[in-house]
Amino acid sequence: MSDPCKAIASSLAAIICLATVPATGQEEMQVEYDVVEMPSHWVAPAPTGKGAGPVTEEMLRKSGSYTDKWLQYHGDDRGYRHSPIKALTPEKVKNLRLAGLLPTGTLGQQEVSPVVYDGIIYVTTSYNRLFALESATGKTLWRYDHQNPKDLRLCCGPPNRGVAIYGNTVLMATLDAHLLAFDRRTGALLWNRKMADYDKGYSATSAPLIVKGMAVIGIAGGEFGVRGFFDAYDVKTGELVWRHYTVPAAGEPGVETWAGESWKTGGAPAWTTGLYDAETDTLFWTTGNPSPDWNGDSRKGDNLYSNSLLAVEPETGKLKWHFQFTPHDLWDYDGNTHIFLLDFKQGNKVHKVVAQPNRNGYFYVIDRQSGEFLRGNAYLEQVNWATLDAKGRPIVSPHALPTESPTERVCPSNAGGINGAWTAAYNPDLNLAFIPAMEACSQFQKGLAIYMEGLPYTGGTFIQVDGRNKIAYGHITAYDVAKGEVSWRYHDPFPVSAGALSTAGGVVFSGSNSGAIALDARSGEKIWSFNLGAPIRSQPIAWQEDGKTYVAYGAGDSPSLAAMFGAPTHTSDGGLFAVFVLE
Amino acid sequence: MSRIAGLIAGVALSVAPLSQAQTDVQRGEQLFTALCSAYCHGRDPGKREAPYLFDCEWLHGGSEEEIFATVSNGVPDTRMVSFGGKLPNGDDDIRNLVSFLMANSGCQE
Repeated sequence: MSDPCKAIASSLAAIICLATVPATGQEEMQVEYDVVEMPSHWVAPAPTGKGAGPVTEEMLRKSGSYTDKWLQYHGDDRGYRHSPIKALTPEKVKNLRLAGLLPTGTLGQQEVSPVVYDGIIYVTTSYNRLFALESATGKTLWRYDHQNPKDLRLCCGPPNRGVAIYGNTVLMATLDAHLLAFDRRTGALLWNRKMADYDKGYSATSAPLIVKGMAVIGIAGGEFGVRGFFDAYDVKTGELVWRHYTVPAAGEPGVETWAGESWKTGGAPAWTTGLYDAETDTLFWTTGNPSPDWNGDSRKGDNLYSNSLLAVEPETGKLKWHFQFTPHDLWDYDGNTHIFLLDFKQGNKVHKVVAQPNRNGYFYVIDRQSGEFLRGNAYLEQVNWATLDAKGRPIVSPHALPTESPTERVCPSNAGGINGAWTAAYNPDLNLAFIPAMEACSQFQKGLAIYMEGLPYTGGTFIQVDGRNKIAYGHITAYDVAKGEVSWRYHDPFPVSAGALSTAGGVVFSGSNSGAIALDARSGEKIWSFNLGAPIRSQPIAWQEDGKTYVAYGAGDSPSLAAMFGAPTHTSDGGLFAVFVLE
Repeated sequence: MSRIAGLIAGVALSVAPLSQAQTDVQRGEQLFTALCSAYCHGRDPGKREAPYLFDCEWLHGGSEEEIFATVSNGVPDTRMVSFGGKLPNGDDDIRNLVSFLMANSGCQE
């Protein structure tokens, strides 16, 4: 008689199963067994929170002004991640103490930027668990664990960078390329939209952006030959309002920059969170690498709109203008790193600009009304792949090109610099941008470019030579945007891949391989640190409640990613969420 | 009896042993570089989700046939998908890949 326990052991249900026990001789004894179905969604029986009411469009557009909430991934509409909390000063932050911890119960990196509203902290984890925690106590109010398929198509770990909040809804995108909406007070699932087929190489990892009642979210898959896009969904109904393809199809403007039919598997994913500029009514979105990453033979041309800053009409998704950072990319220099909206004086003119530390090692300043390149300077200590001409177009060094038998050390590595997986921050009082960065150069090896749907389409590889030779390091750099030069650098022995938070009190919070750290925003001196037992990959936030000031972090990395960045891989797996308090 | 068993075993294997087939180690390297390395197995030792393939520790068997089967069938419930029937030269390309892995394996030492 076959063992019925074996048949159900492969399902997701936890089983308490007493096996059928054959007695001596011919008889078999029937024994009872229970099948216990483990839940994966815990809905609150009644609305939680303090009764604050729905999050309005107006609140989101002023999100950077609140001390008692944190509403957006970037902190505000300008990308500053600058908390107005004055209590977080260099003198006071040494008094931060650990207030609470939550194990995520998941492996891989924790990249969350939490949302705080109405006495509730919304935390997402790797592999798409969503916790709603009571902010005063850390108690779990409701929880949802997304059931991802086992054969996800991921290049770079299983992260999620947080929810978006609007009305009485929170939204989370998932690794199998869905967008889900929940009632923010009970956790009831409102709707679930499939963005794309995960088994064709698509996934989604970023926090959506809310603009005009729509949740804007882009997909990942630049290592799988997807055709990139970002979508706008009506938050109330889940209906798709528009889709913006980042790679033009035959007959569309820009397709002439793709040889033959290479646009069909062109990549240009849109896997980070953009910004909405109410002043110019423009939605800014950025894109990543063309496919295949390290072999451009089949896709001769600039490959628009990969590695680009896109200015888009928010209601329609229609393109206004673009600027491409790295045309015909052969290094995987995704152009979708953190952006800031600033005023920038050049000569006698004050320009409204988008400023960006790019993965390729250059800090760009682009006029955000015209798309004109104004300036580009290196923010890293090692940049040797290219220089920029007067229009910001790279002049590529021949030694940087991938070959079948590479010998050249190319800087920055494929992973950058700064990377779209974490944030930067900006202090408007000091005009300093704080950039967590990696200095880890690599070799680039060219291989065959073979497209097979749903399988890696990279055409080559990187060899992380600086990690191998133990010379990879990192820093948090304060970059004076007006002057175009580095103001100070805090060096770390290992690549830094944590996000950043700036405070009005003059502190920069970030992290490293050894934990959470805080620096004096004026000098870069380290003034506080806390070893959470795991590297920091998350985006710290701060808020105030009942007279106390809180700072929150996720901790935990993927050893695979650490290996790819040239960072140590010995740290334990497993994620944590931590809240610190200043009383 | 043992000769018949050997013959049956030979027929049951759908793979011609590598030593009997012409394999192209260089093409195997090109395939590895393109499909297996970048964000998966890599070329450097160190802990990764996708195992390092150039030591002598094989999770699913280190013989030619076992490595062929792992690449061809994938590993269920993991992100190692199946490559069988997908490469340009089919099973020949998988054999090329296997020959590259075995030629550079830590087992040689």
